[in-house]
Amino acid sequence: MRRKKILLVWGIFVSLVMIPGCAPFVENNTIEDIAPVTFWSISKGEKRKIKMSTLVPPLVNEPKSLLTLEVDLLKQGGKDFNLRYYRELKVGQLRMFLIHEELAKQGIIQLINTLLTDYDISQRMYLVIVKGNFDEYINRQAKKQENLDYYLYRMLKHYERKKQGEMTIVNLHEYKNKLFSPFSDPVLPVFKVAKDNFTYEGTAFFSNDKLIETVKNTEDQIFQLLDNDHYLKFFPIPKLDVVIGHLRSRVNVDLDKNLSLVTINVKLNGRIEEYQGNKNILNGNELMQLHKEIETELEMKTTDLIKKMQELKVDPLQIGTHTLSPFSKPISEKVWLAAWGKMNIKVNYQLYFEALQNTKNNY
Amino acid sequence: MTTFSLFDKSSKMDGIYVFFIVNRFQMLFLFFLLPTYLLHPFMIWGIVAMAIFSQLNIRLLCKWLESNYAKKGYQGFVELFGVRMVRLLTFIGLILILIKITVITLGYLEVIHDFIFPSMNSNWIIFFILLTSSYVASLGMKNTIRFVVIVFLCVFWIIFLYFPFFIPPIAALHDLYPLIPTNWTTDSWKGLLLIWSSYSGPEYLICLIPWIKPQQKMRKYLTYANALSTSEYLLLFIASLFFFGSNYLSKSKYPIIHMIRYLQSPMFERLDIILISLHMFVLVFALSIFLLCIYGATRIILKKTSTQPSRMGFAVTCIVLFLCFVFVNNWIWSIKTEQNILLNIQIWLSGITYFIVPTFLLLLTKLKGRVKA
Repeated sequence: MRRKKILLVWGIFVSLVMIPGCAPFVENNTIEDIAPVTFWSISKGEKRKIKMSTLVPPLVNEPKSLLTLEVDLLKQGGKDFNLRYYRELKVGQLRMFLIHEELAKQGIIQLINTLLTDYDISQRMYLVIVKGNFDEYINRQAKKQENLDYYLYRMLKHYERKKQGEMTIVNLHEYKNKLFSPFSDPVLPVFKVAKDNFTYEGTAFFSNDKLIETVKNTEDQIFQLLDNDHYLKFFPIPKLDVVIGHLRSRVNVDLDKNLSLVTINVKLNGRIEEYQGNKNILNGNELMQLHKEIETELEMKTTDLIKKMQELKVDPLQIGTHTLSPFSKPISEKVWLAAWGKMNIKVNYQLYFEALQNTKNNY
Repeated sequence: MTTFSLFDKSSKMDGIYVFFIVNRFQMLFLFFLLPTYLLHPFMIWGIVAMAIFSQLNIRLLCKWLESNYAKKGYQGFVELFGVRMVRLLTFIGLILILIKITVITLGYLEVIHDFIFPSMNSNWIIFFILLTSSYVASLGMKNTIRFVVIVFLCVFWIIFLYFPFFIPPIAALHDLYPLIPTNWTTDSWKGLLLIWSSYSGPEYLICLIPWIKPQQKMRKYLTYANALSTSEYLLLFIASLFFFGSNYLSKSKYPIIHMIRYLQSPMFERLDIILISLHMFVLVFALSIFLLCIYGATRIILKKTSTQPSRMGFAVTCIVLFLCFVFVNNWIWSIKTEQNILLNIQIWLSGITYFIVPTFLLLLTKLKGRVKA
């Protein structure tokens, strides 16, 4: 009996505290009142301001509209969006953070720091560099295509999972980790807006937090093979009239002791998907010759790519991490970058292609 | 109406409870800070070394637990020191426990405040946690000790969630290099101290002796507990090295929880909120055990051991504790210097108690035995 009484008294006490609004919770997350946005797009505004935009409402059957603001600070934008829109915008579902190329060239460390301090923002949020006017594109396209923001997110997620090549996909955590590590420089994907298309263009190299170079096409593909995914579904080499596919690479980096030579051995497994040249590739000798040509072509292109990195003094391939070993003192970042700029490069490719099948010689 | 018996000594607990208790005491808050203090991969050896020392310490403790004095409980202490000395030592113990639970509660509080309720007045959280603990404690020492099984089952599997951090691309071997100490600084000593004080906890078993079956296998259970804690420390530390790299590790205050934020589940967006809530079980358990210890200690100091524990006295203890927490939370914990003073004091104190208590007791027992002979 007594226990019941005590419970009753407690019950009354707790409800007395909670009911009159003395409740300790101030956040209101009633689903009808909030709009969890999926992306923020940031570009350069006038006079050192930043231009922010986002699409509302997300995933509800209402006509979508793009909100655009010019603000000094990122979180200020988050606040001002709320004042503009009848629902409260929440950042808990923020999945993409699109940064305009011009802004990225000035450095984005302040933005990254702001994102990192907010515990509501997922560490898995994708960072993307955009060329061209994204706001205009989304404004035009959102009317034609429902849930455009969601499908953009799905696209990034699709290419991130299983590391299936084709695109560099980087999230906030990966970017931050590379940014703050001494022997690696971050990279981000670059997407280009051209009229009604939003196309993947390549990979942007960062020196610290500033974008300094974008590599495209073949160079980007080689970058995928060397570091990012170690896989490519298709690798067209128009110069040799050949497409190789299902490429899987094994990269072996070897630094010599006095940091003057780096040897990169790449083993490629794959198969020839298409050939339109004039060699009889059913003939063993001629096939070997084609292999040789592909090898030299790849070696040349790779050397060029790495030379480019050296000139820019960036190390997105994390070659510097190979200077670390279990039983020696690590060298400093400065020493490494100085050595990296002057290092000789040797690139070796070894191709292991499957034999061709279901084909007949046309020549 | 049943009588209010907090310290009912009629039934004794198996050794397996000792395993649960010691393991969870060793995994109490301080391990959240471990990676941030250790930073360098070579500190892996620090954890291993401290585990060995802790094991030696546990051997000493076990020797004492198996001695005749220990079997007699409170009477044993009286025989060993005399009533006056026991009261003095209890008073010191009371202060130590008070500091320990204050720091641990406020530490967890900070985690909750940071991750779950950033806009909530933190005194409310103290209130709710202490309310729960008082309820658990009011069920008596016996039930509180039994509660450890639930606590252990709620929390121990969290370690398996860190599995994804051990597979590439997150796990890269070069994050663990160099494995030998290349720059040994005062911070490294501090790291070792933190490891040692995280291992502390088994010494509080001396407060729980009357409820544990006197048996020879104690050492076995304590060893297992120590080994489990060691492997958890190692796994968490290595996982955080893989995930953050040793350069970024110092920037993040609670790396172990930030790692959980990176995990994704198809059901919940914020996995960390759920897991922090589960960690609260450990806090509630530790608080209720120490609450009972504090109440018992006050009774010893006030010479009330022969009378029945009263509801009033227990309630007053809880309220005083609440006021103490609120006071420290509002006026001492919030002083922002470069390092949290109270936390540092606790790290030192728990390191010292873990080192001194078993040695001191064993030495005294040996001396007493020799004098008698």
